[in-house]
Amino acid sequence: MSNNIYIVDDDESVCRALKTLLMTYGFNVTTFNSAQKFFDTVTNDQPGCLLLDIHMPGIDGWETQKKVLASGSTRPVIFISAEKKDDATARAVKVGAVGFLQKPVNGQTLVDLINTTKKN
Amino acid sequence: MKKEIVKRKPGKAKELLLKNVTRNNLEKKIREQSDELATRSGQLKRGADREKLGADRERVSENKILKQKKELNSRSGQLKEGADREKLAEEQIHIRTKAMESTFDGIFVIDAKQSDYPIIYANPSFLHLTGYSKNEVIGKNYFLLYGSDADLRIYEEIKQTLLQGRSFHGEMMHFKKNGEKFWSLLRITLVRDKNGIVTHYVGNKTDTTLMKQRDSEIKEQREELLHVTRVGKLAEFVSSLAHEISQPLTAILSYAQAAQRMLKDREPQLQEILQYIINDDQRASEVIRRLRYLLKKTKPAFESISINSLINDTTTLIMPDIAARDKAIKFDFITNPPSIMGDRIQLQQVLLNLISNSLEAMEGSKLSHEMLIRTSLKDNETILVQVRDTGCGIPEENMKKLFTHFFTSKPDGLGMGLSISRSIVEAHGGRLDAENNPDRGATFYFTLPIIKKDKK
Repeated sequence: MSNNIYIVDDDESVCRALKTLLMTYGFNVTTFNSAQKFFDTVTNDQPGCLLLDIHMPGIDGWETQKKVLASGSTRPVIFISAEKKDDATARAVKVGAVGFLQKPVNGQTLVDLINTTKKN
Repeated sequence: MKKEIVKRKPGKAKELLLKNVTRNNLEKKIREQSDELATRSGQLKRGADREKLGADRERVSENKILKQKKELNSRSGQLKEGADREKLAEEQIHIRTKAMESTFDGIFVIDAKQSDYPIIYANPSFLHLTGYSKNEVIGKNYFLLYGSDADLRIYEEIKQTLLQGRSFHGEMMHFKKNGEKFWSLLRITLVRDKNGIVTHYVGNKTDTTLMKQRDSEIKEQREELLHVTRVGKLAEFVSSLAHEISQPLTAILSYAQAAQRMLKDREPQLQEILQYIINDDQRASEVIRRLRYLLKKTKPAFESISINSLINDTTTLIMPDIAARDKAIKFDFITNPPSIMGDRIQLQQVLLNLISNSLEAMEGSKLSHEMLIRTSLKDNETILVQVRDTGCGIPEENMKKLFTHFFTSKPDGLGMGLSISRSIVEAHGGRLDAENNPDRGATFYFTLPIIKKDKK
């Protein structure tokens, strides 16, 4: 499975920090400040896990996930958001995502979740 | 109809009776005079035949008789007119009496000419309002009905106003015969005779208890609404604030963890510093998480709880904090406490809030070292939990505001902790309150209802 990670978060610092962290685990990380930029750049035949922020201007996380699914992609998606609603994890799984992590996210926890997507 | 009025108003009856007697007397007199005249007329006639009196004298006499007859007729007419007028007046009195007796307002009349100002009339509503019987009211001084609990200043104010020849108007607390309080709007007006002398005081009492109650209910609802709006706005604000702060915290944590991994097995001092950064980042996140939780509107999940174990669990959470502040916590638990129904997390929140408040109150004083949590039975249905500290106590001026939203004595406080805690306790059917200890510090205490066995 691919070592590619795509991060979509409107906060530049979050993108850079997560990229720095995940690179120490040996991942190839590309970051995007909006979902649109991600869709414009990455095609479905480029494998890799997508880390998605939920609250974003323009297309939000939930909408992005819908689009990913609608495009016929099987790309694993992990939501990462500051606000955790009680049913966020359940909702994330229901819409086809791998999981939901609350910010600030612990590096090892995130990596463990990413690795489960690689096994599947 | 007439009988009824006579019965109700002895004074008036006497007057009427007197008038009747006078009228009867007059009528009798007229009849007598009329009879006498007739007799005299007959005599005169007979005399004329018999004694052959002079024609002039006879004419004069007859004229005199006619004149007297006319006069008598006129006087009789006047009497009849008077009787008609009286009948009308009686009707008026009857109607007005009915009006006075059917109103919901308590009406009473005081005789101002008597030195002890007795009540000479009280309508049924007055009796109903005050709870006294007619016998207990009539002839008594009005102020005696006020009860011993009445405010003497109002009593004086009413007296002074009336003695100065002015009407009184005011709303005040009244006491019924059984001591029950009620709010009443009282108006007392003066009745003067032709010479301007005050003869009576007419009082009018309206029960305003319900109105007052409704007013305060409306006020409470308004405040509640304001509170809901405020809390709603605050929750929104906290939510967006939490989001904004979470972003840099995410970045800081990730950077620090990345750096730690990069320095693996090297630079132990830097590693340690990075760990401190990570720890503090997580502490800040925890603060935000708790703040969010405080403002979250979740339905409480009620379960059967043992209060002692709940307190034990809660204090375990805060023990490191207590130790770090060099304070101690003692327990005085009731053995085998009856279970209560409650939301474990919400009640923990209340306890944590009270304990951390106590710790803060004891901060910086060597004398304040120990706090005590006590559970006891308040009565057969209620458990009492007391959190007693040896801190600085609560200034008297803050006592009332303690549980209001956004009131805080701490420079960095939000003023939500105690008000939320009180809401939680009240949602559990209990009550949260505070008092200063006689010696040192303050005690916050709350009650919780015990699960009734038959309901179990």
